[in-house]
Amino acid sequence: MASNAANLNAVRETMDVLFEISRILNTGLDMETLSICVRLCEQGINPEALSSVIKELRKATEALKLFRIQLWLRPLWA
Amino acid sequence: MFLELPFQNCLQFLTGSYSDGFNMKKGGLQERLAELFLSHFEETDAAQQFQYAVRVIGSNFAPTVERDEFLVAEKIKKELVRQRREADAALFSELYRKLSSQGVLKNKWSILYLLLSLSEDPRKQSNKVSSYAALFAQALPRDAHSTPYYYARPQTLPLNYQDRSTQSAQSSGSMGSSGISSISMYALNGPTPTPQSLLPGQSYQAPGVGDCLRQQLGSRLAWTLTASQPSLQNSTSKGLPNTVSRNVPRSRREGDTSGSVEITEANLVRDILYVFQGIDGKNIKMCNSENCYKVDGKVSLSKSLRDTTSRLAELGWLHNKIRKYTDQRSLDRAFGLVGQSFCAALHQELKEYYRLLSVLHSQLQLEDDQGVNLGLESSLTLRRLLVWTYDPKIRLKTLAALVDHCQGRKGGELASAVHAYTKTGDPYMRSLVQHILGLVSHPVLNFLYRWIYDGELEDTYHEFFVASDPTVKTDRLWHDKYTLRKSMIPSFITMEQSKKVLLIGKSINFLHQVCHDQTPSTKMIAVAKSAETPKDAADLFTDLENAFQEKIDAAYFETSKYLLDVLNKKYNLLEHMQAMRRYLLLGQGDFIRHLMDLLKPELARPATTLYQHNLTGILETAVRATNAQFDNPEILKRLDVRLLEVSPGDTGWDVFSLDYHVDGPIATVFTRECMSHYLRVFNFLWRAKRMEYILTDIWKGHMCNAKLLKSMPELSGVLHQCHVLASEMVHFIHQMQYYITFEILECSWDELWNKVQQAQDLDHIIAAHEVFLDTIITRCLLDSDSRVLLNQLRAVFDQIIELQNAQDTMYRAALEELQLRLQFEEKKKQRELEGEWGVTAVEEEEENKRIKEFQESIPKMCSQLRILTHFYQGIVQQFLVLLTTSSDESLRFLSFRLDFNEHYKAREPRLRISLGTRGRRSSHM
Repeated sequence: MASNAANLNAVRETMDVLFEISRILNTGLDMETLSICVRLCEQGINPEALSSVIKELRKATEALKLFRIQLWLRPLWA
Repeated sequence: MFLELPFQNCLQFLTGSYSDGFNMKKGGLQERLAELFLSHFEETDAAQQFQYAVRVIGSNFAPTVERDEFLVAEKIKKELVRQRREADAALFSELYRKLSSQGVLKNKWSILYLLLSLSEDPRKQSNKVSSYAALFAQALPRDAHSTPYYYARPQTLPLNYQDRSTQSAQSSGSMGSSGISSISMYALNGPTPTPQSLLPGQSYQAPGVGDCLRQQLGSRLAWTLTASQPSLQNSTSKGLPNTVSRNVPRSRREGDTSGSVEITEANLVRDILYVFQGIDGKNIKMCNSENCYKVDGKVSLSKSLRDTTSRLAELGWLHNKIRKYTDQRSLDRAFGLVGQSFCAALHQELKEYYRLLSVLHSQLQLEDDQGVNLGLESSLTLRRLLVWTYDPKIRLKTLAALVDHCQGRKGGELASAVHAYTKTGDPYMRSLVQHILGLVSHPVLNFLYRWIYDGELEDTYHEFFVASDPTVKTDRLWHDKYTLRKSMIPSFITMEQSKKVLLIGKSINFLHQVCHDQTPSTKMIAVAKSAETPKDAADLFTDLENAFQEKIDAAYFETSKYLLDVLNKKYNLLEHMQAMRRYLLLGQGDFIRHLMDLLKPELARPATTLYQHNLTGILETAVRATNAQFDNPEILKRLDVRLLEVSPGDTGWDVFSLDYHVDGPIATVFTRECMSHYLRVFNFLWRAKRMEYILTDIWKGHMCNAKLLKSMPELSGVLHQCHVLASEMVHFIHQMQYYITFEILECSWDELWNKVQQAQDLDHIIAAHEVFLDTIITRCLLDSDSRVLLNQLRAVFDQIIELQNAQDTMYRAALEELQLRLQFEEKKKQRELEGEWGVTAVEEEEENKRIKEFQESIPKMCSQLRILTHFYQGIVQQFLVLLTTSSDESLRFLSFRLDFNEHYKAREPRLRISLGTRGRRSSHM
């Protein structure tokens, strides 16, 4: 229906705006993650907590990625 | 409200159903969020992450900051302006306006705040580099090294840090602070486990990456690699001002690390990193007089720092030493393959060392770039370097010691020097040195295998222990061309092995060049050549005794056997040896006798009138007339006459000699010296034979003339004397001949033949042959020790000749007299027949006078003979005395035989001395 379509439009626009802002601010969030964050925030999560969680999760993935990489690196002498 | 949702429940909300209330929804979404990030994780990891996330969020339910949308927007703008992105700030304003105009979001503040806190300064360096650096730091202790040496580091430190870490975890409960996580606990499977007692009050790190991810979340909070510092055990201060966010209690080392020193530890670290490479730092310079690195005296440093610096600087010193050696050697063109491989091995080790240094450098670099802002745990401190470089130092020390030991050596010597260093109890050192030894000995073993399988020697730098003399021609190849260079024999190859190796290669070359036998070695040797890689060389050392020895033995056996086969079949070595015996050593009796018969009239002439071709003709006649004709024509071809140098007054007997030509491979065994020995022995034997011959003649004369001279009774005395003397001489010569033939020749020949039959290689044959000749020469009294004896013997021979002469004159005179008397009688008879007086008074008177003269000459003859006898006997006695005191047993036995009835003993007081217990008569009486 029209209201739904209008809603969807608005939502989409909002998301675009937010995505743009997120891009300007170099947060590194992709659309999907951003949408989840928005939903969480709408539901009243504490943004500080969420942000720290996201950071930690990122680091963990990085760590794991690097861990995987290091297995392929040539051994070093120490 | 703290929620602990079991993982399974969370899964139910994957689809995002919000039916179960507020918190559940959050849980579901959070799970999805976590899922997004943790796509790499296994389930258990994800579960842990999720639980963690939930816990965090649950525990920080209420925001600490005011919910002011406008404020946040302003903050964002300010941030953008601060980053000098005004355009972006304007853009943001626009976007914000748009956002506000749309009424979709209710909680704009929340999302904006979130975005702000997640934002990153694009100018700031990404964290990735640091994490890589940290990653390298992490990786160092764990992995195998490219050199075969594997240093087994302790893989896990004691992991009982949970209790300590939980403390800090609680202290870092506040997540509200901006910026990067401030609670960084460093984990490490450290390079070496520093005893915990050294660092009291430290906050220790949790273990390494993989481990940390597996740990229970409740026990710790830090992520190792995400901490942008290398994970080291110590988190000592470096003197840099520490930021607020550091919660870890700092350790104070020895008290005076900050503030008052002019040179900070950071500078020292920088300098040290340069010193590690042998480059002078700003403050730490090479002090040539003391040959060490020292910190500038002007700098005020605490003693501990100075000490630590010195200890670290040792590494640079060691590095310099090794580097100097390799650089010097690379310029040296004559260094040779072994030396080059040694340098290559050293170079390889240095490369590893440089890698370590580059990692350290990158660490330093990172800190520089990140600056002070991060307030991170600083990474490189002197103490850390100490710990880290402990093992490299040991390694470098070993290498430096090796370098010292190997100064000025090359080739096999160098290999020996390195091998000497493997004899250490320290397994670390031993494996390192063994690795180097494997590389270093590879060229030597290459040489060796080529030599024993192909006989080729390509050794431009004189490193191998077999030396080839290019000036030697093929005829002396076996004896002179190849020698052992003793200094180059590596200590893991014994002398016996190296001798065998020399022999094998020599045999192959001999076959190729002298025997013209180009059989490839593969035919000779069924053994496969070893693959020539350094690994094989290294393997060789694990089983040096057996495998190597086997190889050499196999090659030796096969090559020598083949060589002997060729020599015997193609070149008839043994047959030539027998021919020597038959002709030069008078083995072929009938031939020698006949030859002597034929030569007798020739050789009685003065030596200057002899012509070689005449004698050769006679020789051939002799050959054809005796059994010698059935010999191998090859051998007969080589038989020849040789005329020795003529001295004035020589008869033919003195210059005549037989000769045997040798060439080719045979000449290796019958060298020129050997042939000269043979000729000397021939000379001796020939003379003895001649004496025998003469005495036979004398005896013949006796027999013939005895009957004739029966009518002259006055001669009987003389004749009798003559006979007696002749018999004495015959006896003497008989015994001598017996001695020569049986004691000397036959025995030695037998020995030689046995040895030759059993010989395993050409060297054995040559040695046996030389022993044979030596024995013969000694026994034939031809060596320098027996000169006196020989002279005595010669004197005896001379006497015999004298006797012959005397006898000849006597017989001549006697026969002449007889003739005349017979003539007289004849005439008398004839006259009587004619009717005249048989004999006139004058004639009778003449006859009587003549007879009387003759009879008067008899005593002269008698006395002459007597003198001769006396002389002869004196000489023989002398000879006997010398014999009985000689050291050779067989000569002593000869004396017994010569004096079997003690005829001489009766006359010679010296001979009467009884034999002592040792069987020797002393000559000093």
